[in-house]
Amino acid sequence: MKKRGVTSERKIAANRANARASTGPQTTRGRAHVARNALRHGLSLPVGSIPALSEEVEPLAREIAGPGANAATQELARRVAEAQIDLRRVRHARHQFLCDTLSQEYYSYTKMRMKVKILRALLRPNPPDISMEALEFATSNPRLEGPDKLATILLEEAKELLAMDRYERRALSRRKFAVRAFDEARRRGSRDCNH
Amino acid sequence: MVAFMSRKRISTEAAAPGVSGQVQRLSLFGPPLLLRGEDAAAYEHLLARLCAAKQPVDIIDDILIGDAAASEWEALRWRRLKWTLMQEDVLKALKLFLIGQLESNYALHKRHFKRYLAEILRNKLPTEQVDSAETLAAECAPHTDEANEKLDEVLGSIGLEMNTVLDDARAAKAKELVQEYVRGKQAAVTLVHKLLADAGESMDTFIAKALRDKIDDIERIDRLATVAESRRNACLREIDRRRADLGQTLRRSVQEIDGELVNPPPAE
Repeated sequence: MKKRGVTSERKIAANRANARASTGPQTTRGRAHVARNALRHGLSLPVGSIPALSEEVEPLAREIAGPGANAATQELARRVAEAQIDLRRVRHARHQFLCDTLSQEYYSYTKMRMKVKILRALLRPNPPDISMEALEFATSNPRLEGPDKLATILLEEAKELLAMDRYERRALSRRKFAVRAFDEARRRGSRDCNH
Repeated sequence: MVAFMSRKRISTEAAAPGVSGQVQRLSLFGPPLLLRGEDAAAYEHLLARLCAAKQPVDIIDDILIGDAAASEWEALRWRRLKWTLMQEDVLKALKLFLIGQLESNYALHKRHFKRYLAEILRNKLPTEQVDSAETLAAECAPHTDEANEKLDEVLGSIGLEMNTVLDDARAAKAKELVQEYVRGKQAAVTLVHKLLADAGESMDTFIAKALRDKIDDIERIDRLATVAESRRNACLREIDRRRADLGQTLRRSVQEIDGELVNPPPAE
């Protein structure tokens, strides 16, 4: 077994110099770009942290609460509005994702990869025996259309779609409980008024 | 693409009065999330029918009805996709079957082949011979040794191969038959059923094969449809629950008012 010695000063200095040289992009544009690296769809961000969405919450909350609502009812209405805006955001994201994928002319990464694999094998100096079916598949038109394309997207993007579905389920659940709390508060309010 | 979505329009019955205003209000929540080729008018109609049936009383009802419509639309989308995928496979299998039948029974497409050949000759023959295309086709179509020899010669002279032309003609006839069968044209339906019966097959065989080939897709699409349906049902249940609560509150208020009127509090 190789014995591990103490790292030399020279090596430490070299490592530090290398690290300093690779601290990511230097330009403002580059930094702005990498800042969004971990952002996939942004659906985990609360509605309140997105200015464009949080602006929509207040008017909707006011309409839900109705005129003359007290502070507590307004707060509950705000929760309903937030959940509703969140739900709309998730649905839009999923819809946009489906539309973008459907509009890709040559969709299907799996099929494309399989085709490339077959064609590469054929281009080797001693190509293996390949069935007629495989050959036909490799040379077929890669353009998927109609229902087949949508079905392929559902298969290949299942993970992404499932993740979005989880966000939608959570938003729906949040809205359901927010609506129930709001209704309960309004009911209590009207009962108090009658008394 | 997804032109299949607009194939079936929901029957348009007149919506209840006042519904259009509610639908307009619902459109404030943003445009409907439709895929390319989906029918926006059919979506609006679905929304109008739900509004007419549920009569929303406040903005939360509007939101829930909008959701129910979106979920119902999605369920319809997935059910149509499933049906179209199956249908495509079934028709593909039927076409292959018919090509086989036409191959073994030339009489089935003799007239079609004559027309098909005449069309090719009209397009390919030199201008001075175009007029003779019909006659040549009639001479070459009978499928006898002599006619085949002539056909081979004529097609060779315009750079075509007899077997390829015959294959293409069979494929074209099979496609035409399938289209007529789908449209429900009586002659095509009778012929297809007779050919299937003679060969000991049925449409069920093709459906079973399509189901076997597409079972993964069908399962996945079914799951999506079930999710959409359960979300639609949850929205409708929620509206009913709110109505029940509202009804209960109103009943209680009425009882309290009744009680106060029947037994008025003693005057001080």
